[in-house]
Amino acid sequence: MFGQMDWQGQKLAEQLVQIMLVSFAVMALLVGYALESFQSMMLIYAGGVALTTLITAPNWPFFNRHPLNWLDQSEAVKHPKPKLLRT
Amino acid sequence: MHSFGYRANALLTFSVTILALMCAIASLSDNLNSPSPTAQVQVLNINRFQKKTDGDDEVSMSLNVSANLESLFTWNTKQVFVFVAAEYDTPKNSLNQVSLWDGIIPSKEQAKFSIHTTNKYRFIDEGSNLRGKEFNLTMHWHVMPKTGKMSADKLVMTGYRLPVAYR
Repeated sequence: MFGQMDWQGQKLAEQLVQIMLVSFAVMALLVGYALESFQSMMLIYAGGVALTTLITAPNWPFFNRHPLNWLDQSEAVKHPKPKLLRT
Repeated sequence: MHSFGYRANALLTFSVTILALMCAIASLSDNLNSPSPTAQVQVLNINRFQKKTDGDDEVSMSLNVSANLESLFTWNTKQVFVFVAAEYDTPKNSLNQVSLWDGIIPSKEQAKFSIHTTNKYRFIDEGSNLRGKEFNLTMHWHVMPKTGKMSADKLVMTGYRLPVAYR
Protein backbone atom coordinates (compact mmCIF):
# COMPACT_ATOMS: atom_id res chain seq x y z
CA MET A 1 0.00 0.00 0.00
CA PHE A 2 2.66 2.53 0.96
CA GLY A 3 5.72 0.85 -0.52
CA GLN A 4 7.70 1.26 -3.68
CA MET A 5 6.34 0.86 -7.17
CA ASP A 6 8.26 -0.76 -9.96
CA TRP A 7 10.00 1.52 -12.47
CA GLN A 8 7.19 1.52 -15.01
CA GLY A 9 4.70 2.16 -12.17
CA GLN A 10 6.64 5.20 -11.00
CA LYS A 11 6.68 6.67 -14.48
CA LEU A 12 2.96 6.02 -14.88
CA ALA A 13 2.16 7.57 -11.48
CA GLU A 14 4.08 10.74 -12.25
CA GLN A 15 2.50 11.11 -15.67
CA LEU A 16 -0.94 10.54 -14.16
CA VAL A 17 -0.37 13.28 -11.58
CA GLN A 18 0.64 15.79 -14.24
CA ILE A 19 -2.09 14.97 -16.73
CA MET A 20 -4.89 14.71 -14.17
CA LEU A 21 -4.05 17.89 -12.26
CA VAL A 22 -3.63 19.99 -15.38
CA SER A 23 -6.86 18.71 -16.94
CA PHE A 24 -8.83 19.27 -13.73
CA ALA A 25 -7.41 22.79 -13.53
CA VAL A 26 -8.42 23.58 -17.12
CA MET A 27 -11.88 22.10 -16.54
CA ALA A 28 -12.31 24.02 -13.28
CA LEU A 29 -11.30 27.30 -14.93
CA LEU A 30 -13.68 26.82 -17.86
CA VAL A 31 -16.64 25.81 -15.69
CA GLY A 32 -15.94 28.54 -13.13
CA TYR A 33 -15.70 31.22 -15.78
CA ALA A 34 -18.79 29.96 -17.62
CA LEU A 35 -20.89 29.84 -14.44
CA GLU A 36 -19.28 33.05 -13.11
CA SER A 37 -18.63 31.11 -9.94
CA PHE A 38 -15.22 31.21 -8.31
CA GLN A 39 -16.49 28.71 -5.77
CA SER A 40 -17.28 26.01 -8.33
CA MET A 41 -13.80 26.41 -9.80
CA MET A 42 -12.27 25.81 -6.37
CA LEU A 43 -14.58 22.86 -5.62
CA ILE A 44 -13.90 21.16 -8.93
CA TYR A 45 -10.16 21.58 -8.52
CA ALA A 46 -10.23 20.39 -4.90
CA GLY A 47 -12.18 17.31 -6.02
CA GLY A 48 -9.62 16.75 -8.77
CA VAL A 49 -6.71 16.94 -6.33
CA ALA A 50 -8.46 14.49 -3.97
CA LEU A 51 -9.16 12.03 -6.79
CA THR A 52 -5.59 12.32 -8.09
CA THR A 53 -4.24 11.66 -4.60
CA LEU A 54 -6.45 8.60 -4.26
CA ILE A 55 -5.31 7.20 -7.60
CA THR A 56 -1.60 7.97 -7.60
CA ALA A 57 -0.40 8.11 -4.00
CA PRO A 58 -1.16 4.58 -2.76
CA ASN A 59 0.82 1.74 -4.31
CA TRP A 60 -2.01 0.12 -6.28
CA PRO A 61 -1.41 -3.25 -7.96
CA PHE A 62 -1.60 -1.75 -11.45
CA PHE A 63 1.60 0.18 -10.70
CA ASN A 64 3.39 -3.15 -10.23
CA ARG A 65 2.81 -5.01 -13.43
CA HIS A 66 6.45 -4.88 -14.55
CA PRO A 67 8.45 -6.57 -11.77
CA LEU A 68 12.22 -6.65 -12.14
CA ASN A 69 13.31 -10.22 -12.74
CA TRP A 70 16.80 -10.64 -11.40
CA LEU A 71 18.88 -13.57 -12.58
CA ASP A 72 19.32 -16.42 -10.15
CA GLN A 73 22.49 -16.31 -8.09
CA SER A 74 23.71 -19.60 -9.57
CA GLU A 75 24.15 -17.81 -12.92
CA ALA A 76 27.01 -15.82 -11.41
CA VAL A 77 28.79 -19.02 -10.48
CA LYS A 78 28.23 -20.52 -13.91
CA HIS A 79 29.44 -17.42 -15.70
CA PRO A 80 32.19 -15.87 -13.57
CA LYS A 81 33.55 -12.42 -14.27
CA PRO A 82 36.25 -12.54 -16.94
CA LYS A 83 39.70 -11.94 -15.47
CA LEU A 84 42.47 -9.97 -17.12
CA LEU A 85 45.26 -12.21 -18.24
CA ARG A 86 48.77 -11.17 -17.37
CA THR A 87 51.27 -11.60 -20.11
CA MET B 1 12.75 6.51 -2.95
CA HIS B 2 9.22 6.43 -4.34
CA SER B 3 7.16 5.94 -1.23
CA PHE B 4 3.62 7.08 -0.41
CA GLY B 5 4.98 10.18 1.32
CA TYR B 6 7.16 11.13 -1.63
CA ARG B 7 4.30 10.79 -4.09
CA ALA B 8 1.86 12.69 -1.86
CA ASN B 9 4.38 15.49 -1.42
CA ALA B 10 5.12 15.77 -5.14
CA LEU B 11 1.38 15.86 -5.86
CA LEU B 12 0.70 18.52 -3.26
CA THR B 13 3.54 20.74 -4.47
CA PHE B 14 2.43 20.50 -8.08
CA SER B 15 -1.23 21.07 -7.22
CA VAL B 16 -0.44 24.26 -5.28
CA THR B 17 1.67 25.56 -8.18
CA ILE B 18 -1.28 25.01 -10.52
CA LEU B 19 -3.63 26.64 -7.99
CA ALA B 20 -1.49 29.77 -8.02
CA LEU B 21 -1.58 29.75 -11.81
CA MET B 22 -5.37 29.37 -11.81
CA CYS B 23 -5.73 32.34 -9.47
CA ALA B 24 -3.47 34.40 -11.72
CA ILE B 25 -5.59 33.51 -14.76
CA ALA B 26 -8.80 34.33 -12.84
CA SER B 27 -7.28 37.66 -11.91
CA LEU B 28 -6.25 38.36 -15.52
CA SER B 29 -9.74 37.49 -16.73
CA ASP B 30 -10.99 40.64 -15.00
CA ASN B 31 -9.35 42.63 -17.80
CA LEU B 32 -12.00 41.26 -20.16
CA ASN B 33 -14.62 43.17 -18.18
CA SER B 34 -15.07 46.82 -19.08
CA PRO B 35 -17.42 48.27 -16.45
CA SER B 36 -19.87 51.07 -17.17
CA PRO B 37 -21.26 52.10 -13.79
CA THR B 38 -23.77 54.90 -13.41
CA ALA B 39 -24.53 57.06 -10.39
CA GLN B 40 -26.74 59.97 -9.43
CA VAL B 41 -26.71 61.94 -6.22
CA GLN B 42 -29.43 64.45 -5.47
CA VAL B 43 -29.26 66.96 -2.67
CA LEU B 44 -32.84 66.94 -1.44
CA ASN B 45 -32.51 69.47 1.34
CA ILE B 46 -29.96 71.44 3.35
CA ASN B 47 -31.15 70.61 6.86
CA ARG B 48 -28.65 72.68 8.74
CA PHE B 49 -25.87 75.06 7.73
CA GLN B 50 -24.05 76.67 10.60
CA LYS B 51 -20.77 78.03 11.82
CA LYS B 52 -19.66 75.93 14.78
CA THR B 53 -18.40 77.64 17.94
CA ASP B 54 -14.82 76.96 16.88
CA GLY B 55 -15.42 78.81 13.61
CA ASP B 56 -15.67 75.84 11.23
CA ASP B 57 -18.60 75.56 8.85
CA GLU B 58 -20.84 72.52 9.17
CA VAL B 59 -23.54 71.34 6.78
CA SER B 60 -26.17 68.68 7.27
CA MET B 61 -28.02 67.61 4.15
CA SER B 62 -30.46 65.02 2.90
CA LEU B 63 -29.22 63.02 -0.04
CA ASN B 64 -30.63 60.58 -2.47
CA VAL B 65 -27.83 58.30 -3.66
CA SER B 66 -28.65 55.96 -6.51
CA ALA B 67 -26.22 53.92 -8.52
CA ASN B 68 -25.94 50.90 -10.74
CA LEU B 69 -22.58 49.27 -10.05
CA GLU B 70 -23.53 45.81 -11.33
CA SER B 71 -20.99 45.97 -14.15
CA LEU B 72 -18.15 46.19 -11.62
CA PHE B 73 -18.88 42.65 -10.49
CA THR B 74 -17.19 39.72 -12.17
CA TRP B 75 -16.76 36.14 -10.97
CA ASN B 76 -13.58 37.27 -9.25
CA THR B 77 -15.13 40.12 -7.25
CA LYS B 78 -15.46 39.70 -3.52
CA GLN B 79 -17.03 43.04 -2.67
CA VAL B 80 -17.09 46.70 -3.62
CA PHE B 81 -16.56 49.53 -1.21
CA VAL B 82 -18.26 52.72 -2.29
CA PHE B 83 -18.29 56.21 -0.83
CA VAL B 84 -19.63 59.62 -1.77
CA ALA B 85 -17.37 62.56 -1.09
CA ALA B 86 -17.99 66.28 -1.33
CA GLU B 87 -15.06 67.85 -3.16
CA TYR B 88 -14.33 71.55 -3.36
CA ASP B 89 -11.40 73.93 -3.43
CA THR B 90 -10.46 76.60 -0.92
CA PRO B 91 -7.79 79.30 -1.07
CA LYS B 92 -5.57 77.14 1.14
CA ASN B 93 -6.13 73.73 -0.45
CA SER B 94 -6.86 73.01 -4.07
CA LEU B 95 -8.76 69.83 -3.19
CA ASN B 96 -10.81 69.17 -0.07
CA GLN B 97 -12.58 65.83 0.22
CA VAL B 98 -15.21 65.13 2.83
CA SER B 99 -16.77 61.70 2.93
CA LEU B 100 -20.54 61.99 3.37
CA TRP B 101 -21.76 58.43 2.95
CA ASP B 102 -20.24 55.00 2.37
CA GLY B 103 -21.29 51.43 1.97
CA ILE B 104 -20.06 47.91 1.29
CA ILE B 105 -21.70 46.03 -1.55
CA PRO B 106 -21.20 42.30 -1.03
CA SER B 107 -22.85 41.00 -4.19
CA LYS B 108 -24.00 41.86 -7.68
CA GLU B 109 -27.64 41.56 -6.59
CA GLN B 110 -27.15 44.49 -4.23
CA ALA B 111 -25.15 46.60 -6.67
CA LYS B 112 -28.17 48.49 -7.99
CA PHE B 113 -29.51 50.67 -5.24
CA SER B 114 -31.19 53.92 -4.36
CA ILE B 115 -30.77 55.24 -0.84
CA HIS B 116 -32.39 58.16 0.86
CA THR B 117 -30.10 59.34 3.66
CA THR B 118 -28.70 62.25 5.54
CA ASN B 119 -24.95 62.61 5.45
CA LYS B 120 -23.59 59.67 7.47
CA TYR B 121 -20.39 61.51 8.41
CA ARG B 122 -20.29 65.16 9.41
CA PHE B 123 -19.63 67.61 6.61
CA ILE B 124 -17.29 70.08 8.29
CA ASP B 125 -14.93 72.46 6.55
CA GLU B 126 -11.60 73.30 8.16
CA GLY B 127 -12.45 76.95 8.21
CA SER B 128 -15.31 79.08 7.06
CA ASN B 129 -15.30 78.59 3.32
CA LEU B 130 -18.61 76.89 2.61
CA ARG B 131 -21.04 79.79 2.10
CA GLY B 132 -22.08 79.89 -1.54
CA LYS B 133 -19.42 77.28 -2.32
CA GLU B 134 -19.72 75.30 -5.49
CA PHE B 135 -18.82 71.66 -4.91
CA ASN B 136 -18.72 68.29 -6.62
CA LEU B 137 -20.20 65.10 -5.29
CA THR B 138 -17.93 62.27 -6.33
CA MET B 139 -18.75 58.61 -6.07
CA HIS B 140 -15.57 56.65 -5.43
CA TRP B 141 -15.39 52.88 -5.42
CA HIS B 142 -12.79 50.30 -4.57
CA VAL B 143 -13.19 46.87 -6.10
CA MET B 144 -11.86 44.04 -3.93
CA PRO B 145 -11.25 40.92 -5.98
CA LYS B 146 -11.04 37.38 -4.64
CA THR B 147 -7.55 37.10 -6.15
CA GLY B 148 -5.44 39.83 -7.64
CA LYS B 149 -5.03 43.52 -7.36
CA MET B 150 -7.53 45.95 -5.86
CA SER B 151 -8.70 48.66 -8.21
CA ALA B 152 -10.43 51.99 -7.70
CA ASP B 153 -12.27 54.47 -9.84
CA LYS B 154 -14.74 57.31 -9.48
CA LEU B 155 -17.57 59.25 -11.06
CA VAL B 156 -17.57 63.01 -10.61
CA MET B 157 -20.92 64.81 -10.45
CA THR B 158 -20.65 68.57 -10.75
CA GLY B 159 -22.90 71.55 -10.28
CA TYR B 160 -23.87 71.57 -6.60
CA ARG B 161 -23.88 74.79 -4.64
CA LEU B 162 -24.29 75.52 -0.94
CA PRO B 163 -26.57 78.36 0.19
CA VAL B 164 -25.08 81.81 0.57
CA ALA B 165 -26.44 82.26 4.11
CA TYR B 166 -26.33 80.10 7.24
CA ARG B 167 -29.63 78.57 8.28
